[in-house]
Amino acid sequence: MDLRHTPEDERFREEVREWLAENLTGELAELPPGTGGPGREHEALELRKEWERRLGAGGWIGIGLPKEHGGRGATLMQQVIFAEEYARAGAPGRVNHMGENLLAPTLVAFGTEEQRKRFLPGILRGEELWCQGYSEPGAGSDLASVRTRAELRGDRWVINGQKVWTSLAEHADWCFAVVRTEPGSERHRGLSYLLVPMKQPGVEIRPITQITGTSEFSEVFFEDAETDADNVVGEPGEGWRVAMGTLGFERGVATLAQQIGFERELRETIAAARESGAIERPEVADRLIDAWVELRAMRYQAMRTLGGQDPVAASISKLLWGPWHQRLGELAVDVRGAAATVTGPDYELDAAQGLFLFSRADTIYAGSNEVQRNIISERMLGLPRG
Amino acid sequence: MRFELNDDQRELREFVRAFLERHAGPEAVRAAALDGDGFAREAWERLTGEMELTALAIDPERGGAGASFVEVGIALEELGRTLLPVPYLPTVVAAAALAGAPEAGELLERIAGGAAAAVALDGDGIEARAGAGGLLVSGTASYVIDAPHAELFVCAARLDGEPTPVALRRGEGVEVEPLMTLDATRRQGELRLDGAPALRLAAPGEGEAALGRARDLLSVGLAVEAVGAAARIFEVTLDYLRERVQFGRPIGTFQALKHRCADLAAGLEAARSTAYYAAWAADGAPEELPVLGPLARAVCNDAFLKVAAEAIQMHGGIGFTWEHDAHLYFKRAKSTELLGGGSRAWRRLAAERAGILG
Repeated sequence: MDLRHTPEDERFREEVREWLAENLTGELAELPPGTGGPGREHEALELRKEWERRLGAGGWIGIGLPKEHGGRGATLMQQVIFAEEYARAGAPGRVNHMGENLLAPTLVAFGTEEQRKRFLPGILRGEELWCQGYSEPGAGSDLASVRTRAELRGDRWVINGQKVWTSLAEHADWCFAVVRTEPGSERHRGLSYLLVPMKQPGVEIRPITQITGTSEFSEVFFEDAETDADNVVGEPGEGWRVAMGTLGFERGVATLAQQIGFERELRETIAAARESGAIERPEVADRLIDAWVELRAMRYQAMRTLGGQDPVAASISKLLWGPWHQRLGELAVDVRGAAATVTGPDYELDAAQGLFLFSRADTIYAGSNEVQRNIISERMLGLPRG
Repeated sequence: MRFELNDDQRELREFVRAFLERHAGPEAVRAAALDGDGFAREAWERLTGEMELTALAIDPERGGAGASFVEVGIALEELGRTLLPVPYLPTVVAAAALAGAPEAGELLERIAGGAAAAVALDGDGIEARAGAGGLLVSGTASYVIDAPHAELFVCAARLDGEPTPVALRRGEGVEVEPLMTLDATRRQGELRLDGAPALRLAAPGEGEAALGRARDLLSVGLAVEAVGAAARIFEVTLDYLRERVQFGRPIGTFQALKHRCADLAAGLEAARSTAYYAAWAADGAPEELPVLGPLARAVCNDAFLKVAAEAIQMHGGIGFTWEHDAHLYFKRAKSTELLGGGSRAWRRLAAERAGILG
């Protein structure tokens, strides 16, 4: 075991810090920390799109991709350092998480040379935004139940059906979607991974208003929407394997970065508790201490599993942070007391109210915690399937 | 940054585990803990003799192997799995406390040679005064784990009003009353000192820091040990869930149990990471130890207690019997918590040391 950073890593950290200090200026620097983060993706969108292009110009998108595909070939630790410094600098939430972190590695692993040439530069320059088309009204935790279908007519796929819980759909240029391409197929078979342009007449987007009163997510309706026959990643019928491969790219970098945001939210909650005087109550102090202790444990857990090949590590991580974040959200309003019951005139929520409400989704999205428990108990603990 | 163990460390783990599987199975543990005097002497002699496990933590110049606390932690985790009644933890903590004292060479050699030690680091019941040939200590320390089998003792004593670590050996002026314990796998004694000759282990002004480090090492050791113990009783429980058939199917197919197991696994994995990080920090980042000691102890003991409590429930009736080992783990977990002031107190202490609430 050696948990110190190498001198190369420290030099990399300096480089990241300097670039952020030089570029995160003006209006961008004025944004409150956490702007555009999870649950707040509607905030300052135009500014954040411009920022994404600036990051791209600086070569800071997709840094973990191999150099021949336009990345920096950054090590896992360097990716963590970038994400940590990014969060520490208070830089806003990214607008193209789906393109950068899910589609780009998928194209490197499963795409054709033509697909990489066509799509990677747009992501790496911050110019083409992507959304993910996985969930459907009948396929939430049970992704294999997708019913949206596509059929090949000549040199075009024609797509019909509905996706739901699509982040930033109205801003995305493209969607990567799992659709059924073999009529009558069931479950994991007969699915394909298609790349579909969003700006076309056959695509209709209806925002979903969440319990926060805001809209990060949308329903997406495909009615004879089209895409080129070439825009299938992997072979037709192999969509499940490609989609699951995508999930495997998450090897803990995002978890460590996410924790920097958690630390900030905890600090803000402690400050609010001090301001309201709630910190004097032993029960509140103990809950704050517990939140801190558990966040430390989650950090060591993320460090130990960083870069590991065990896919169950992501399930463990989610069981730890989802409920933790919900408890923090409860604390955030509890320490403010009655003051947390009043919103702005148009139901504008402050950060604590937003955290309290949005964190309800943490145990539902990206595979509900019940699904994670099934995965852990069967794949890691070897308990028999029911 | 590398979190995983190196080849030598993995080899050490295999070596210790293989030995314990052969010589410290559940029957040997029960024989020593429940039918004997709470000391698996023969296993201890081999662990400290041919296995040289106590020498691990001692400087090579003083008869030891000069390993880090990571290696000691590996041995502790493996011992924790078995609950084997041997005084390894207090002995390595005593060795660490002795390491700072130039005159402690002979005591360290004795530990490297297999002498068992106990530590009494809490409480203020012991006074030290200067005597003709050195220090003389008097007073009482209660709930001293593994004291009945110890030849050497490291205690917190008050010397000229200052908390000071001192070392003494069993002999004149030293009396130990052995006690039966709720956790029979870890016996205790009451240590009564009456003018016993002792060696001062820290210079004036450095006593509190030296005692603090010893307490934090003890906490980290207990954390690693708890992870081992929790992992073992969890494995036993999972085996049972796969095998036990009710309503025509293994009870491990029921989500009511599966989901509880998944939560236990998540808590245990986080505890394991915390314990390993703390064991590394003992030598790798000693400035973090005052926070990590109590933090790791709380996180790991809490995880252990949950697993051990659930082990009884998930075993059903058999889990409530004396015959099954589940109660040994449950009692170990709760006793270890009660002995140090409790999880709540450690969490508060860690937060206070880290300045979290300002």
